[in-house]
Amino acid sequence: MILSIARKELKEIVREGRFRVTAGVVLALLLAAVFISNQYYQSVNAQHAQAKENARSEWVNQGEKNPHSAAHYGTYAFKPKYPLSLIDSGIDKYAGISIFLEAHKRSEAQYAAAQDQTALSRFGDLTPDFVLIFIMPLLIILIGFNAITRERESGTLRLLRGQGVPAWKLALGKWLGIFIPVLLIVLPVYILSALFLANVNDYGEFSLGALSLLFLVYILYYAVFTNLTLMVSSLVRKSNIAFVILLGIWIVSCLAMPKISTALADTLYPYPTQVEFEEQIAQDKEQGLDGHNPWSAEANKLEADTLEKYGVDSVQQLPFNWDGFLMQEGEKHAADIYFKHYQFLKETFHNQTGVYRATAALSPFLPTRFLSMAISRTDYTAHWDFADAAEKYRIELVGKMNGHMMDNSQTGDWYYTVGKEVWESVPEFDYEPPTYAAVLNNNSSNLLTLLGWVLLSSVGLYGAIQRLKV
Amino acid sequence: MIKHIIKFEWIALLRDQWILILVILFFSITLFAVRNGHEKVADRVSAIAHEREEVATQDAQTIAEIDSVERQLKALPSESWLDPRSLENIAWQSPRVVAMDPVPLALVSTGQSDVFTHYVKPKIYGEAYTLGFSELSNPVQLLFGSFDLAFVCIYLLPLLVLAFCYNLLSSEKESGALRLIYAQPISLYPWLLNRLLFRFFVLSAIAIISITVSLLIYQVDIASNLGSFLKLLSLLLLYLLFWFMVAFVVNLRGKSSGHNAVTLVALWLTVVLLIPSVISQLATNLYPVPSRIGMIHEYRVATTEARERADEILENYYRDHPELAPKDTTQENRYTWMLTYFTSSDVVNESIRPILNEYDAALARQQAWVDQLRFLSPATLLQHGLNDIAGTSTAHYVDFRKQVIAFASEWKDYFKERMFANELMKAEEVASLPQHQYSAGDITTSYEGDLGGLLVFLLVASASSWLLYRQANLAKVLITN
Repeated sequence: MILSIARKELKEIVREGRFRVTAGVVLALLLAAVFISNQYYQSVNAQHAQAKENARSEWVNQGEKNPHSAAHYGTYAFKPKYPLSLIDSGIDKYAGISIFLEAHKRSEAQYAAAQDQTALSRFGDLTPDFVLIFIMPLLIILIGFNAITRERESGTLRLLRGQGVPAWKLALGKWLGIFIPVLLIVLPVYILSALFLANVNDYGEFSLGALSLLFLVYILYYAVFTNLTLMVSSLVRKSNIAFVILLGIWIVSCLAMPKISTALADTLYPYPTQVEFEEQIAQDKEQGLDGHNPWSAEANKLEADTLEKYGVDSVQQLPFNWDGFLMQEGEKHAADIYFKHYQFLKETFHNQTGVYRATAALSPFLPTRFLSMAISRTDYTAHWDFADAAEKYRIELVGKMNGHMMDNSQTGDWYYTVGKEVWESVPEFDYEPPTYAAVLNNNSSNLLTLLGWVLLSSVGLYGAIQRLKV
Repeated sequence: MIKHIIKFEWIALLRDQWILILVILFFSITLFAVRNGHEKVADRVSAIAHEREEVATQDAQTIAEIDSVERQLKALPSESWLDPRSLENIAWQSPRVVAMDPVPLALVSTGQSDVFTHYVKPKIYGEAYTLGFSELSNPVQLLFGSFDLAFVCIYLLPLLVLAFCYNLLSSEKESGALRLIYAQPISLYPWLLNRLLFRFFVLSAIAIISITVSLLIYQVDIASNLGSFLKLLSLLLLYLLFWFMVAFVVNLRGKSSGHNAVTLVALWLTVVLLIPSVISQLATNLYPVPSRIGMIHEYRVATTEARERADEILENYYRDHPELAPKDTTQENRYTWMLTYFTSSDVVNESIRPILNEYDAALARQQAWVDQLRFLSPATLLQHGLNDIAGTSTAHYVDFRKQVIAFASEWKDYFKERMFANELMKAEEVASLPQHQYSAGDITTSYEGDLGGLLVFLLVASASSWLLYRQANLAKVLITN
């Protein structure tokens, strides 16, 4: 019975011009999006590889200089592109792609693509995630808004019920009738992206499991919309009204809620401005040890303590270069200050994330959006992880330079220089993103909310179907 | 007859409780959007004001310190670089605020204002063109965008039009009233058009009143910014009328209400979401932004070479500018380090200027090209127009960047000249340090272009409605169907 209803539903949908046209357009858009994203990616990846190579060669070929000067000269860390960003590019274009690593200073990631694009780009790009997350639910609504109202309007619902078809069987048949076409559209996209990703070496490590998980999230999301569509269609008497209500649900959950929660998050937990943030750091730095200021009270204290510890009278008698030591202590102090302030920033980010997670209860779009970005490694958490790794590398790099100066030169000998072999001894920045287990663990609340949506909308559908009036 | 139609429409609308709900809904949405815009602008204003106060406090302190040294109330610090009169100290510690003050209607559209910073303090050390100008923000917020008035106008208002008009003709047909109407001595086209225009006036009135009241609640001085406000309204009304005409065309096709609704939503989706995203994607792929990372690499290579020759450069500099060389050779210039830095960075700047110019030109070309693509959709045209009015368009931030770079070099030149002369700061000179005054005057606005574009879309929609009517002999189709 269920299958024959589903088959009848499918036949009807496929025969209808409306579905053929819209489904054709959506599929074409999706395939085009995958294709274009793939092309874009190849070029971005080539640029990235070139930039990484340039940065290393700048560092290695910076010439003879004092190790501390080399730390000032610095180098760049580049954020890698991940295979699944082919599907969901997430915040990529709004976050910087490279971080300048130098002595004394933690820098923000720079050169976000959005900065060099015009305001037009704020409408969003035609990427696979755009179609998967915005357009597909609309397609579901378009296919299914009159699934039950139509039967009611034409009087066939009465006939069906008269034949003794249980309501749940009718609903399940209809459900499959809507859901199967959606699957048929998503499936080729899944296969195509798997093929692209598996065959291109530039994409780095590609995991089919992650891609499948990503599509599973979307499937759950579509299940929610299918449930909602059928629920409204069975509760409402007229097709027109069902359509308007469903459209309203789509607008609220996909268009309005993300912006409303953003406004809320911004009001409750505002970020400091760039200048304010820098000034707070500068203030803290002024109060502490400055490696370049051996006359400050802090430096004098450190000097006295160190001399006492080594039992000598002057810094020249120390077994190491005092300047290098002072620099390194200043560096540690600065790193602590940066840690403190970035920790504050991170807290603000976590608080804002909390707001998004809370409002996700009002919109199935939000948990899906966040899960999709997280699995694609294009969410803000992934960016933070990269930025923290870059900072760790920066501290090590500068520490190594100061350490070299400390151990190999005399106090006061600022003319001490070294060359290529020292620069080469610094390992390249090699970043490993967090494991998928960690990603999922971090997103357990989003996953739960999405599953909650699936469950609640199923219960809602069941309830609506039980009370189905002819 | 027309009077009659309008009177009837008016009564029908008043009796329809949907209208009341729509009015309340739209007003709350508008108010919320304006509130969000207001909050952003207020944050921006207070941050800039705070920064200016800080500078004023810092200046007062500097003056006091210099004064006490000048009057010998305080001993000179042991190290010359700790001298409060040192130009280096003032240049480094008392940078001016270069701020982009919001225009009165800034709260209308967030535009690019969440991506870029609105004030910087260019230092004497470092180059202004390497500044990022990015604002600290959660990129998720940038991705989701703001719930501002522009969002309400571009995305939501057309949906309201569609809800208002999708069954303008089909409902008459479905209820059987159409036959009766057609028995009257009036032709279908003007009858329908009049009803449509009537609805347009009602919805426009709701929109204009909601927007005006919301702006007034948030203390926007509309009276003294009437020009911008009228520009806003004219763009908005054209956009609205375009959507009414689209609904008209769809109605004239004589299909059922349900069919009309689906068609209109599909059109909305195409104009508001699909075309803009396709344009944006095409721009990224076909005409990519030149690589800033590549440019920075060339910049660093050039910098390294120039730094290596720094001392040599300073010597040459004095040879080329004998007037700047220390007059009294027994007295060393206290700013030698800074002067070495200046001259070497001059050389660096000279050698990388082609790279920068080339980059800026390529970027400007790319953005100009992409800007033209806005003519492909009324939604992108309206967005462009609103950003322009709000002073948050890409052009505004490009211009601000130029102003910052210009001021940074003015600031630097001021000190450079005095450092070469080995001067010290006097207390009374602090007040006359270079100041930046923001002006948006140099930005070419595109109001006429945006308005013209919208007008073309409107004309196309209107013309197709007339053609459709003429071609299909609609009355016959409708009555006999």
